[in-house]
Amino acid sequence: MGRSKEVNLNECKMVVPLNTWVLISNFKLAYNLLRRPDGTFNRHLAEFLDRKVPANANLVDGVFSFDVLIDRGTSLLSRIYRPATAEEPQPNIAELEKPVTAEVVPVIIFFHGGSFAHSSANSAIYDTLCRRLVRLCKAVVVSVNYRRAPENRYPCAYDDGWTALKWVNSRPWLQSQKDSKVHIYLAGDSSGGNIAHHVALRAIESGIDVLGNILLNPMFGGQERTESEKRLDGKYFVTLRDRDWYWRAYLPEGEDRDHPACNPFGPNGRSLEGIKFPKSLVVVAGLDLIQDWQLAYVEGLKKAGQEVKLLYMEQATIGFYLLPSSNHFHTVTDEISKFVSSDSIKTIGERIMQCIGPLLCVDYVCLFKCFLG
Amino acid sequence: MKRDHNHLQPNPDPSSLRGAPSTGKAKVWDEESAQQDCGMDELLAVLGYKVKTSDMAEVAQKLEQLEEVMCNVQDDGISHLASETVHYNPSDLSTWLESMLSELNPPSTFDPFGAAGTAAAALDDSFLVPAESSTLTTLDFDNINRKHQKSGQQIFEEASCSDYDLKAIPGKAIYSQKTQPQTHDSSSSSTPTNVKSEKRFKSTSGPPSPSDIFPPPPPPAAASYGIPTASTRPVVLVDSQENGIRLVHALMACAEAVQQNNLNLAEALVKQIGFLAISQAGAMRKVATYFAEALARRIYRFYPQNPLDHSFSDVLHMHFYETCPYLKFAHFTANQAILEAFEGKKRVHVIDFSMNQGMQWPALMQALALRVGGPPAFRLTGFGPPSHDNSDHLQEVGCKLAQFAKKIHVEFEYRGFVANSLADLDASMLDLRPSEVEAVAVNSVFELHKLLARPGAIDKVFSVVKQMKPELVTIVEQEANHNGPVFLDRFTESLHFYSTLFDSLEGSVSSQDKVMSEVYLGKQICNVVACEGVDRIERHESLTQWRNRLSTAGFSPVHLGSNAFKQASMLLALFAGGDGYGVEENNGCLMLGWHNRPLITTSAWKLTNKTTAISQ
Repeated sequence: MGRSKEVNLNECKMVVPLNTWVLISNFKLAYNLLRRPDGTFNRHLAEFLDRKVPANANLVDGVFSFDVLIDRGTSLLSRIYRPATAEEPQPNIAELEKPVTAEVVPVIIFFHGGSFAHSSANSAIYDTLCRRLVRLCKAVVVSVNYRRAPENRYPCAYDDGWTALKWVNSRPWLQSQKDSKVHIYLAGDSSGGNIAHHVALRAIESGIDVLGNILLNPMFGGQERTESEKRLDGKYFVTLRDRDWYWRAYLPEGEDRDHPACNPFGPNGRSLEGIKFPKSLVVVAGLDLIQDWQLAYVEGLKKAGQEVKLLYMEQATIGFYLLPSSNHFHTVTDEISKFVSSDSIKTIGERIMQCIGPLLCVDYVCLFKCFLG
Repeated sequence: MKRDHNHLQPNPDPSSLRGAPSTGKAKVWDEESAQQDCGMDELLAVLGYKVKTSDMAEVAQKLEQLEEVMCNVQDDGISHLASETVHYNPSDLSTWLESMLSELNPPSTFDPFGAAGTAAAALDDSFLVPAESSTLTTLDFDNINRKHQKSGQQIFEEASCSDYDLKAIPGKAIYSQKTQPQTHDSSSSSTPTNVKSEKRFKSTSGPPSPSDIFPPPPPPAAASYGIPTASTRPVVLVDSQENGIRLVHALMACAEAVQQNNLNLAEALVKQIGFLAISQAGAMRKVATYFAEALARRIYRFYPQNPLDHSFSDVLHMHFYETCPYLKFAHFTANQAILEAFEGKKRVHVIDFSMNQGMQWPALMQALALRVGGPPAFRLTGFGPPSHDNSDHLQEVGCKLAQFAKKIHVEFEYRGFVANSLADLDASMLDLRPSEVEAVAVNSVFELHKLLARPGAIDKVFSVVKQMKPELVTIVEQEANHNGPVFLDRFTESLHFYSTLFDSLEGSVSSQDKVMSEVYLGKQICNVVACEGVDRIERHESLTQWRNRLSTAGFSPVHLGSNAFKQASMLLALFAGGDGYGVEENNGCLMLGWHNRPLITTSAWKLTNKTTAISQ
């Protein structure tokens, strides 16, 4: 036990910057304290240990935030992050929900990670990540404080995500000027990625347009033990044992990991063929033990004819996107930025072509005719 | 007391809001800059962890060690670490890891709770006992509990917390305090009650032992590392109705007109607000009404009478206590810290700046009574403002507490002081005993901010507190900045603060209690908005600001731990409509908030340097 553990720790330290290693190891050990063998969770200690930050209606590096109570019955809060703009250089505290002014404003509904049990929208790690997303994508970010397991099992997290989606979709102040519609993206890491997928499914069924899904190290699984799970078990911060614990805490009692919430393209899953599923950007860390499931998810989308881009970051571990101290981080942020803005660019380009293109053709023909006399 | 009419601005505080909100150049958030904030790793600081760059390798090593040890102890040891151990200040990674390592090594055979056995386990998930005296208000836990079970509230923990029976807080800290040597025997078990004029004098048998037990002073102002120093403006929108938004706009416009001294416009707007408010429902209507009234008073210079009739304000205070958890949280968390600080002390003295009806103390006295090893002798000195009807209400409170003390067999001594302001206080009045003989705790719940209305008052009080040589100073204050130099800013901040506070009252069951609480808060709103100078006493400031004041004045933080956190959380769950309440840990302080917006903060302090406390 002793020696192989040493090897694991040393290898692990070599692939991430030291402060990242400290951060993720700290989470790992703290989380070990919180999961009880009988499936219950030490929620009080979890809340005590979680580093949280309040919303801040003052601008900090071009971003301000405020919390909104979306549903009183479930105490569902979301934290809204907005960028300062040329038209609105200073947020007015009486007008935090002032309409967005740009032609196209992406609205990213973000679901934080934590394997369905940990963290909150106001966790410092996620507050920081959301602020980065705002600056990166010139977007409004809505971070959903969904109910967590094991106190609230499937489908509570999806229900909350769905409530948030409906809420976002019905806000007049979030509508882009171009088409008076809310341009919605769903994003999430770990369990948040899983939630994004399932909320997108509900959106389609109800006719709400989702422009894209961004899944960072999404949490999927299955009954089978895959090669990557066996190979990487315990090597890079994560063990199969803890993965199993979280699924047991989230899934309905008695269900196994082939439940479609966990394994959407598994034996109990459904094909997405012929369905207008949003395009997806899926980021997989090469040192994440559940990568086989994530890759299977990507395959499942491809087989169903859905648009999906895979970003496989070979030497990345879980949580690499929490600190901007690695190359992986910058590659991923670039891709996310492109993914979200491609709609805007297409739009602007299209419009230019629509207006000027035909005119250009007509002019040349005229000139030619004139020239020819 | 001479009244000062020159309407001076409060002492400028470098960390308070300066008019317009910051333009976001806060360097703390800037990842790219090479700036080192006292050598802290910036990236981790932003995420809430204080680790010096130079310590990173050492912290990594501790993590590895801890993992190793956790593997070896298996489930039992981990469960002990999770449920028995008290954790402090998780932001300070190095210290936190160290404390866990020392919990797990020495070997697990050493169990400081061993003798207590099941008693310790039972004490772990427990509460304070409510006052038994019928003259003091009691919490009706049975009813509240039943309501919650009906609504199907989840209980996170296991069987141990299914008993809402209240027992003493164990208060066993992870850092064991060195006990002081006993210089005299404890007195007879009779409980003489002493109020006001009578003094109980204990003569020590023999010379006091040298006071060399004091721990070395920790580095000062350690609390400010890694915490964003830019002003934070937390906002939660609980009501996004169209009318609600228009109402807020009208209020802001009116406040702006007042700020610009455009009183005609302000008058017109304040009337409009009245109409808009009627169309609203719930909390927003009430808040708007109170703010409109306050604005009207300011416009017409019809200032509210100060001070309040004391018996009426007492009644309001008590209803507020019952309706919502704020005061209970304040008392509970302060008492936990005091209990821990008094561990091992045979004689203790609490000096309470916020006596009111003395509701904080029965619970502490009960906890002391149930202490392993028996209760200390308990002395209480309470301060309060004079009453209009010349009744000695402090005396009455003292009597009730004395009766209670007798019932629970705690030796009790009491003295009440009437004073217009805490700044009138002098240490010589208090009959302080040497700190080796009697341990002192100073307690202030929602009182310190009032001192900011007069220049020099807060500093005088801090220096007097230092002369008391307290083991601990517990402070509870509103978590808001209502003391900025610009009226409009104060108005905006307080509008959001009280909106959130009123919203939290909506869920409470008794409408009588609710109305009284709203009146209680309404008086504060009136003071913040309509008054100026020495009359404006509701000068709330944020934790960051208080931290600066206290560290400058020579105090260092004492951290509140996971046990207080957990029990405070469980307390909150008992309140109807409790789902919105939450406790947060912030560098050793505990904050109570409504839907993630922090509203009150409890902090604890000790003297940075005990030996120089004598000098003024």
